[in-house]
Amino acid sequence: MSRIAMTVNGRPVEAEAEDRTTLGEFLREALDLTGTHLACEHGVCGACTVLLDEEPVRSCITLAAAVTGRQVRTIEGFDDDPAMRVIRECFSEAHGLQCGYCTPGMLITVRDLLRRGRAADAAQIRVELAGNLCRCTGYAGIVKATELARDRLAK
Amino acid sequence: MKPPRFAYHRAGTLEEAIELGARFDGSAKFMAGGQSLMPVMSLRMMTAEHVIDISGIAALRECRAAGERELIGAGTTHAMLEDGKVPDPARGYLRHVAAGIGYRSIRNRGTVGGSLAHADPAGDWPSALLALDAVAVIAGPGGERRVPLREFQLGLMETCLAGPELLTGVLVPRLSERARWAYRKFCRKVGEFAHSIGAVVLDPTLRICNVVVGAVGGKPVRLEQTSARIAEGAPRKDPRELAALVAQDLAGATGLDPSSYEFQVHHAIVSRALTQALSA
Amino acid sequence: MSGKPGKGVGARLRRKEDHRHLHGRGEFVGDLRLPGTLEAAFVRSPVAHGVVRGLDIPAEHAASVLTAADFPGVKPIVAVPKVEGFKASEHPALAAGRVRFAGEPIALALAATRAQAEDIAEAVTVEVDELPAVVDMVQALEPGAPLIREEWRDNQFVEKLNEYGDLEWARRNATVTVQREYRMNRQAAVPLEGRAILAAWNERLEELTLYIGSQSPHQLRVGLAHSLGIEERQIRLVTPDMGGGFGAKRVLYPEELIVAAAALKLRRPVRWLEDKREHLLASIHCREHLHRVTAYADARGKLLGLDVEIFVDAGAYSHWPNGPFMEAGMAARNIPGPYVVEHYRCRSHTVATNKSPIGAYRGVARPAACFTIERTIDEIAHAVGREPWEVRLENMVPSSAMPYRNVTRLAFDTGDYAESVRRAAQLIDLEAVRARQKRGEPDGRLIGVGFASFTEQTAHGCGEWVARGVPVIPGYESATARMMTDGSLMLMVGIISHGQGLETTLAQIAHEELGIDPLRISIRHGDTQASPFGMGTFASRSMVMAGGAVAKACRALRAKMAAIAAHLLQCDAAALRFEDCAVHGPGGSLPFAELGRIANLRQEALPPGVDPLLEVTVTYEPAVDTGVFTYATQAAVVAVDPDTGMVELLDYAVVEDCGTVVNPLIVDGQIAGGIAQGIGTALYEEIPYDASGQPLATTLADYLLPGAPEIPAIKIGHLSTPSPHTEYGMKGMGEGGAISPPAAIANAIRDALLGIGGEINETPMTPRRVRAAVARALAARASRPAAEPVHA
Repeated sequence: MSRIAMTVNGRPVEAEAEDRTTLGEFLREALDLTGTHLACEHGVCGACTVLLDEEPVRSCITLAAAVTGRQVRTIEGFDDDPAMRVIRECFSEAHGLQCGYCTPGMLITVRDLLRRGRAADAAQIRVELAGNLCRCTGYAGIVKATELARDRLAK
Repeated sequence: MKPPRFAYHRAGTLEEAIELGARFDGSAKFMAGGQSLMPVMSLRMMTAEHVIDISGIAALRECRAAGERELIGAGTTHAMLEDGKVPDPARGYLRHVAAGIGYRSIRNRGTVGGSLAHADPAGDWPSALLALDAVAVIAGPGGERRVPLREFQLGLMETCLAGPELLTGVLVPRLSERARWAYRKFCRKVGEFAHSIGAVVLDPTLRICNVVVGAVGGKPVRLEQTSARIAEGAPRKDPRELAALVAQDLAGATGLDPSSYEFQVHHAIVSRALTQALSA
Repeated sequence: MSGKPGKGVGARLRRKEDHRHLHGRGEFVGDLRLPGTLEAAFVRSPVAHGVVRGLDIPAEHAASVLTAADFPGVKPIVAVPKVEGFKASEHPALAAGRVRFAGEPIALALAATRAQAEDIAEAVTVEVDELPAVVDMVQALEPGAPLIREEWRDNQFVEKLNEYGDLEWARRNATVTVQREYRMNRQAAVPLEGRAILAAWNERLEELTLYIGSQSPHQLRVGLAHSLGIEERQIRLVTPDMGGGFGAKRVLYPEELIVAAAALKLRRPVRWLEDKREHLLASIHCREHLHRVTAYADARGKLLGLDVEIFVDAGAYSHWPNGPFMEAGMAARNIPGPYVVEHYRCRSHTVATNKSPIGAYRGVARPAACFTIERTIDEIAHAVGREPWEVRLENMVPSSAMPYRNVTRLAFDTGDYAESVRRAAQLIDLEAVRARQKRGEPDGRLIGVGFASFTEQTAHGCGEWVARGVPVIPGYESATARMMTDGSLMLMVGIISHGQGLETTLAQIAHEELGIDPLRISIRHGDTQASPFGMGTFASRSMVMAGGAVAKACRALRAKMAAIAAHLLQCDAAALRFEDCAVHGPGGSLPFAELGRIANLRQEALPPGVDPLLEVTVTYEPAVDTGVFTYATQAAVVAVDPDTGMVELLDYAVVEDCGTVVNPLIVDGQIAGGIAQGIGTALYEEIPYDASGQPLATTLADYLLPGAPEIPAIKIGHLSTPSPHTEYGMKGMGEGGAISPPAAIANAIRDALLGIGGEINETPMTPRRVRAAVARALAARASRPAAEPVHA
């Protein structure tokens, strides 16, 4: 067991956890931030994506201890983010979610790809989304929502 | 799906990492981004009593000129190369390879050194850097040693790294204007581990001519005859002749039965990479 | 599809459920917290078939490991359908003695964290005498095959023979005979959230509360009460948000049963969250069919008769409630497809093997039936030298024949099947594809286009389910409508919404009937103690059945509200309008809040003879119990790399008819999602087994789920033939998307390889299998001396 300290959604946090605890597990079980979803737990599906120092990472294959002292942002930490507000709006409008399980990771990935200017067309968006699996939507609504958000954020 | 219990150690410096490695020799694993190690540990396919986190060592992220070559620190992430935050001495080759690894969230954590040391034959850097004639820089209790990449990987997930030794970086050549490269891989879906890799780097100025097939057997293989024939200058462009050349070499180099699906895919991918490099 | 104005039936209303999910505030089982919860992991059988001699449990873990001996009162899961000759299997909650598939639960490990529970489970050694495994469903029926249950004397759950018409006549009169073998390999549903249960005993209520991912919590309670040996009143199932189901969360599994039993025994909360390896190992598998077909046709390609033998690999056990027999039965009934076939014979075998039990996955058997008939139609077309889409038109039940009872006695209600083919051909731009094929591709790839049509029986009622022999008859759905004192509305329903958007669409229906704003409606689903008994979400039935129940309940509520309002407004009830949360009469209006207040709080204002409360509970079933038939034609364009066997989907189109659409946004979403899953079946997903019965795809690195780049943009076209038998003319549509893609894509690959004579009749159509098809065709061509060289 170790004490693990980091900043999550702008607030310093500290909790006791086993060394083997992944960041995803730590956020959910030690901090009760259950918006980060664990699905495959071996780095394939992207459901657990969070920001680490503003870059998306997979919290299921990142050790909590390894991000000691760093900044983590989860889906609960975007309430004041103007880009995320637009993206959320577009996801609802274009039916980019059904069961909602992949949604937090998907939103964080979409925000990042838009930020990096990697949404030139639907094909590029699809490649950028390759690491986030959705079993419900067939991605149609997600791609559409990303295009909508790109256009609205460009204005 | 949770990893078995281990003790976590954070190394602040290279020396500390090597010291920790020596202290727990045989029962420790170095972890950089953890993008390969964490999945296999969570699946309980690999265990370690001690995990030594080297991701905080600033020296491992150092990229600088080193004589005729350029040093890429082992801790350089794929995303740093993809984004051009680290200069690419191989005229876009490293950037291209980096951008095709897994997914962005993997590339933000995964490192060049981690990929090489993990030595998965389907990984990208073992094949890509073999084709580039890279040299591994290794630090250990006895100091530093340099190993050409063709001697670095011994087999399936096995390298020449001994005991507490740590890969600190790779030395890559600065390709000339005359250099041509191609890197193609065959995946059933985007971001998946490759089922075949064709890596070709040709630089007449530096006398580099490497045709490499990856995601095959235990480790990537340089096609010796093909590489030699291309270096001699023939044939230059006809895809059919190039394919025939690769076909002659591939069975011997890989031990694959020419009637097997694996052979056919490797043949197609390497031939296409070679054609692309020569027509570039 | 654009929507109708307003917020009722047909409106493209944004979903009420979106907000919580977009903010990470959904509530899934894994998000719930109960103090003192123990986490569960399972010790599972390491072998496919064997006899467990004992468990070696390290002394320090003895108290943390529970085995079958700790649960003497827990009865095995048994599903006994009323199907003649069906052999029931007992599925123990924890195996003791015989184990019948790799991954079968043997013991339960409990600890404070899941990681520690896994440590304990890993430390337990299973001593097992391995028996030869039954892995191949055809070999399983051969004499001398090892037996999974000696008392059965063979490995067959059931064998059925159905004969219609005179197949001999068809054979004698056929110009063309097509013989093929079609195989779909085993896969899994893989909802992104795995199965999940948090079980806790409530001492005050003497009630076992199970927070559980379930598509059918009411039905599950029946099976759980039986196996646990307690009364149903003592079991409450709550299904909160659920990360997909697709059929995999509909059956009663040993894991959920034993976690519930452990919470009961220990009087402590116990939680089990299935991981993906467990899902691929031991959740229901699906799709594993082998069909042998002989088809007879005339010179124009008109189908004269079909002779089919079906094998379904049903795995080791029969799951409650439905068991595995429906797979073969539904395949047999649906193979004639949307076509006129008069002579048909089908023999089916539901085979037991040493694999995880098979169960219903989106489309249930119909993807295999569609694959068989649609590939066969194409082969008939090639044999008679016509375009496959023309041969479809030649054979389809014409709209003028509706209603039509087909050869297997399916009662097609309405529709223009041929129009869906013509529209799909336009949408995919068949002429442009043919022109492109003639030009050839600069990169040497081969282009092909394929079609696949189907009909899907949805929302079938009592008689249909009785005829199938299932132990529970899901012929109805229920709803309670309750108006509160402030005029807001609660709807309690027995179905489950886990992505289908029913919190929105059921509110749209209530709005249609009552004129109440959807934002003033709460849909309460997934709580057995809150709603009347309901059957749950499966078989493309939720909207028709639960939507019908909500419509009926709201109408009854409206009648009572009208009686009260007419009294208070001194007018005739027939003169009242319901709009904007108020009742409007010729001389004045009454807000719903006033009606709610009077009905609940001010009894003295009610008209004489009218009881207090505004609350109605109804059940609903459509006017016919033979189902309403949705249908579609899907079309795919592929590019095949003949060197690697890689298939790229260049274009995809669907033209479908689900009658009246309640919410176009959601309908299009269901279609796209279903097609993506069908593409997974067609090209990516497979759980192969080795000869010893070990599954070879137990991670998502081996079991490939399609991602965004693998799914093309899907062009959707709609036809609308409302059903006369349902509320508003709705038809079910949730599964349809997943049915056609394997057939459409296989036909497209066949079209691409037609020039070299290659074809593929097995899913998933992996690069390895496609390349093998190319290589076979080239070898056959090479062995024919006169063959012309074709570039490949």
